[in-house]
Amino acid sequence: MTASVIRPGTRTYEVRVTKSAEIRSYPVTLGDRMTVLDALFQIQAELDSSIGFRCACRVGMCGTCAMYINRVPRLACKTRPSQLDSTRITLAPLPNLPVIQDLVVSLQPFFEQWKRIRPALRGSGSDQLATLPPDPETSRKRDCITCGICYAACGIKATHADYLGPAAINKAFLRIKDPRDGAHRERLQVLNDEWSGVWRCHTQFNCTVACPKQIDLTDTIARLKRALLTS
Amino acid sequence: MKDLLRKYSGPFSGMFAHWIQRSTGLLLLFYLFLHVRTIYALSQGPAAFDRAVGQFRGPFFKLLEIALLGAVILHALNGVRITLLDLGLPHQRQRRLFWTWSIGLGALIFLAGAIPLFLSSVLRR
Amino acid sequence: MPAFWWYLQRLTGAALALLLIVHFWVEHFVSENLRRGDLTYDAIRTRISNPLWQTIDIAFLLIALLHGLSGARNILLDYSRIGRRGARIATAGFIVVGAVWAWWGIEAFKDLR
Repeated sequence: MTASVIRPGTRTYEVRVTKSAEIRSYPVTLGDRMTVLDALFQIQAELDSSIGFRCACRVGMCGTCAMYINRVPRLACKTRPSQLDSTRITLAPLPNLPVIQDLVVSLQPFFEQWKRIRPALRGSGSDQLATLPPDPETSRKRDCITCGICYAACGIKATHADYLGPAAINKAFLRIKDPRDGAHRERLQVLNDEWSGVWRCHTQFNCTVACPKQIDLTDTIARLKRALLTS
Repeated sequence: MKDLLRKYSGPFSGMFAHWIQRSTGLLLLFYLFLHVRTIYALSQGPAAFDRAVGQFRGPFFKLLEIALLGAVILHALNGVRITLLDLGLPHQRQRRLFWTWSIGLGALIFLAGAIPLFLSSVLRR
Repeated sequence: MPAFWWYLQRLTGAALALLLIVHFWVEHFVSENLRRGDLTYDAIRTRISNPLWQTIDIAFLLIALLHGLSGARNILLDYSRIGRRGARIATAGFIVVGAVWAWWGIEAFKDLR
């Protein structure tokens, strides 16, 4: 059990974790620079070894630790409880995705949509550039770590199993903007679907706000809508 | 409730705008139904028309009418905001700046219309 | 085709904003009587016996129905539970509802045309 000595620069938080069958509450003492992931390690090591969660790099690069933190989808390793507005922290699995156990979700539906836009580069057969020239339109949109946070944040994904979702659309955009790619028409056709394509986006901005890499996904979708309008 | 407000009015204000657009849209559609139903009575003569309009004469309905004005203004201004964003207005900061447009300007226009309406119809009863 | 509906929603929205201001002005502010709230049968009949106002009012109704029902259909399309086929059936339903609604509204002018 954790010692209840309050050291300077630490605070005790009540961490409520949605486990598969119930919500359990754990008292955790953290320094101000520690993260939700640190809290989870502490819970697992000292309070409840059965708690299930995913993580890998611990530095916000892999996207594995994405979860619902105080009803906002975020990376656990990049969220500091000291910067949240309450000492009660509620953890739940990412919404819009099937739960495997506790805080672990399956990203399969996310990658099903991802694959629909043919994410691999399809050569156009002409002279291939080894690298892309810098393009201001796409330079801030390449950092996607496929964490699934945009997918979880999207209000349309909450009710629509077939909608592509922001990440897949953004990936398609990058490929379409790539002069080396030869499958533009095919990708645009997938995007142009009224039922499941870019037209399902209603400019809610949830994805853009939630993206841990600050990619303006709504902008990507708006650009594609404009491109489809004029084609 | 406070959580919900905080969730949608701050960084997730885009979601709040979406809910407002949807709910005012459906309310206005319902209003259109009532409106067409009432105006239909025009083709049935003055007595029928007066009866149909008379259903909505009380002060309660006058207040609803003012609420209708509010719904229309919100829906229209937010619609303009969405169209501008779709057409390429930069998203950074503009999004929250539009709270001064949809809500701020909306409130001003609403008061400009609602106060005369209120004074002339509700107080007269 | 999908782009067409998205575009139409915005176009009809802009038209409605304009038509609404005109409509609100004409019904509530253009004369002293109206500002007092006296919207009588005769006042309305006088206005809509003018074919220009008939055209504007009917156009207003049709554009409002297009925008409103297209919006309602969008709400339905956001629920994938109905499936693609369900969406097609719903669209047909909306077209029928729109046609009936439009006829209902235009009937108010029937003895003036």
